[in-house]
Amino acid sequence: MTNFRTFILGLAASFGLPWLCLIVLPAMQYEQLTPVAYDKDKDGVEGFFPPAPINGQGQLVYIREGCNQCHTQMIRPVQLGLDGWYKGWGQDQEARPTTPARSNVLGDYLGEKYALLGIQRVGPDLANYGWRAPSAAALYQHLYSPRSIHDWSTMPAYTGLFTLQKIQGPVSEHAVKLPKKFAPPAGYEVVPTEEAERLVEYLLSLKKDYPVPGQSAAVAASPAKK
Amino acid sequence: MQTTPATPDTDLQADNLRRAAIDKSVKGPVLFLFTNGAFWLMLSTLLGVLAAIKLVEPEFLGDCPYITYGRLQPAHINALVYGWGIQAALGVMLWIMARRSGQELKGGKSLLITAGVFWNITITFGILAILMGKSTSIEWLEMPKFVWPVLLTCFLCYAWPIARMFGRAFRPEGFMVSTWYILGACFWFPWIFITANVALHCLPGLGAIGAGIDAWYIHAVILLFFVPVGVGAAYYFIPKITGQPIASAQLASAGFWSLAILGGWTGMQKFMGGPLPAWMSSVGACAGVLLLIPVGLVGLNHHLTTLGKHSSVAASPTLRFIFFGALFYPVSGLVLAMNSAFWTGANLQFTQSWYSFQVVSLYGFFSMCVFGAIYYIVPRLSGCEWLSVRLIRNHFWFSVYGIGTIVIMSLVAGWQQGADLNDPEHWDQTFMNHVINSRPYVVSRAVAWGLISFSNFMFLLHLLLMVAGLGRRSSAPTLLEHDHGDQALPHEAHA
Repeated sequence: MTNFRTFILGLAASFGLPWLCLIVLPAMQYEQLTPVAYDKDKDGVEGFFPPAPINGQGQLVYIREGCNQCHTQMIRPVQLGLDGWYKGWGQDQEARPTTPARSNVLGDYLGEKYALLGIQRVGPDLANYGWRAPSAAALYQHLYSPRSIHDWSTMPAYTGLFTLQKIQGPVSEHAVKLPKKFAPPAGYEVVPTEEAERLVEYLLSLKKDYPVPGQSAAVAASPAKK
Repeated sequence: MQTTPATPDTDLQADNLRRAAIDKSVKGPVLFLFTNGAFWLMLSTLLGVLAAIKLVEPEFLGDCPYITYGRLQPAHINALVYGWGIQAALGVMLWIMARRSGQELKGGKSLLITAGVFWNITITFGILAILMGKSTSIEWLEMPKFVWPVLLTCFLCYAWPIARMFGRAFRPEGFMVSTWYILGACFWFPWIFITANVALHCLPGLGAIGAGIDAWYIHAVILLFFVPVGVGAAYYFIPKITGQPIASAQLASAGFWSLAILGGWTGMQKFMGGPLPAWMSSVGACAGVLLLIPVGLVGLNHHLTTLGKHSSVAASPTLRFIFFGALFYPVSGLVLAMNSAFWTGANLQFTQSWYSFQVVSLYGFFSMCVFGAIYYIVPRLSGCEWLSVRLIRNHFWFSVYGIGTIVIMSLVAGWQQGADLNDPEHWDQTFMNHVINSRPYVVSRAVAWGLISFSNFMFLLHLLLMVAGLGRRSSAPTLLEHDHGDQALPHEAHA
């Protein structure tokens, strides 16, 4: 019977080591993390990092619809990919930024129950989408009818997040503006539901490239100073 | 157990009776798992076709919110993993362990069936919940929170008798590599499953570490559950049907322990360059490449065992499926190594090649081995032989074509996708090139799943006929070729 016991012990030991090192200890360490205060003199900004909790209600819609199947939320360092140099993928929206958008760190996702780093990158990365996002109205149009913006788009039309209603009185100010080809039948208008509003708020709040406390390079690169 | 000396004839008869008694004792649960698993596999492949179509043409079947790609794809993968994969694996594990340890299943059969029923009901609810919009967006754990304790309990209901059989029959002098793998799978899966679910569903929120744990979970389940079951089945059936002993005990042992040691480290390289501490993804990448060692050892051992027996690979359906399954094991190892290694992984990150790894290890390797096992096990349980050579042959070839297409296309597509994503020329462009260039590959993915669906339709039909007892009444097994009359398979192959 000793052999049986050694065998089970071998199974437990071979798997237990990675389990402990890769899962348990990092998770325990992570639980200790708290937002870090910026140092006004060194970092040039005040407040805490990460600055604000994310919009949980909107993120729930993002999770529910499985947006992370096609959209990542993770900027890789420049030696791994082009991510940092894509136009508008960081805070700097200029045509040719002098420095790439910084890659993400653990603290960027603090306070999120589960970081939606993504599965595939079929569509653009959304880590810093809030900086380059067009107006909320344009976002509604994109969600309601992606092909009205790019005819090659393979994004699903989330018509379920909108209601088609008969126009009563003047056109609602929230109504989604659509090009003629995609517009609802005459006398009707498309209005975002509350879920769509939360989702758009969430997308507009995605700004994961705030300067990291103590990293002067990040501060120097940050165009917020000018 | 020493028996009184007997003539070979009565010995043989006693052996056969003992085998029949063991088969009878596990018949109910095993056939239940196989049949339900086959239904889930059918559903999963159909969802795979639909998901691939929706990824090219999102307006297909209208803008219905229940069938957007973001919901279909997780439903497809979850049906494949939990509906088919784990269910079929449990059936194969139970049967092989009972046979290998020479023990009948004593009592608890109704508990096993009940656990199986609960497993299926829970997964039905879980997958409907994904489609209805209750997905958690945690890859492979998309089913809502309530699902996992039920699944865990059901799994343990099966794992317990399997482990007991192993414990009771363990003989230090007997080398039983297939049961090692199966016991390992029984032992590791609950551990992995509890860890991932507790971390991701019960702890207050692990942020980016949670994403890393999820990537680890996927790879641990593949490498420490599905791979052991597939390899265990291959180690059981290849010697049995070719009539040759396993070529090398040292290779087998080294292959097992190197897999056990490396399997738990990999996965987090999926987020290389991401927010996880760099050492975590580096360790994962190293392990991902080092896993070529166990893969190579097992591959070599299987190759040496089947050497010179290729006519039985052509003739026996079981051996043919398992042989090709065993061929896909090194393929899946190579795909994983390419995804993991820094100089190819940077290009393949966030592309279809990660999906390709999941499909080749789950369908190409694991499922092909399990199909082989099912073609062997079911006639012994249902008491009749497979009806049609043509159905088996079609099942085999359409599966091979389908899986080959998915693997090659996903790898090429991954390369293309990565090249488009990282092309400096595209720095100020929209994703148009990227989307348009990957379109033909996604179309071929839909076609490949279509082929696999077709092959599984035949499998399901054939299996249902067998379970209903409508197979051939004959003592001769259904073989795919009969050209070498004299070189008939050794007796053991039919036992």
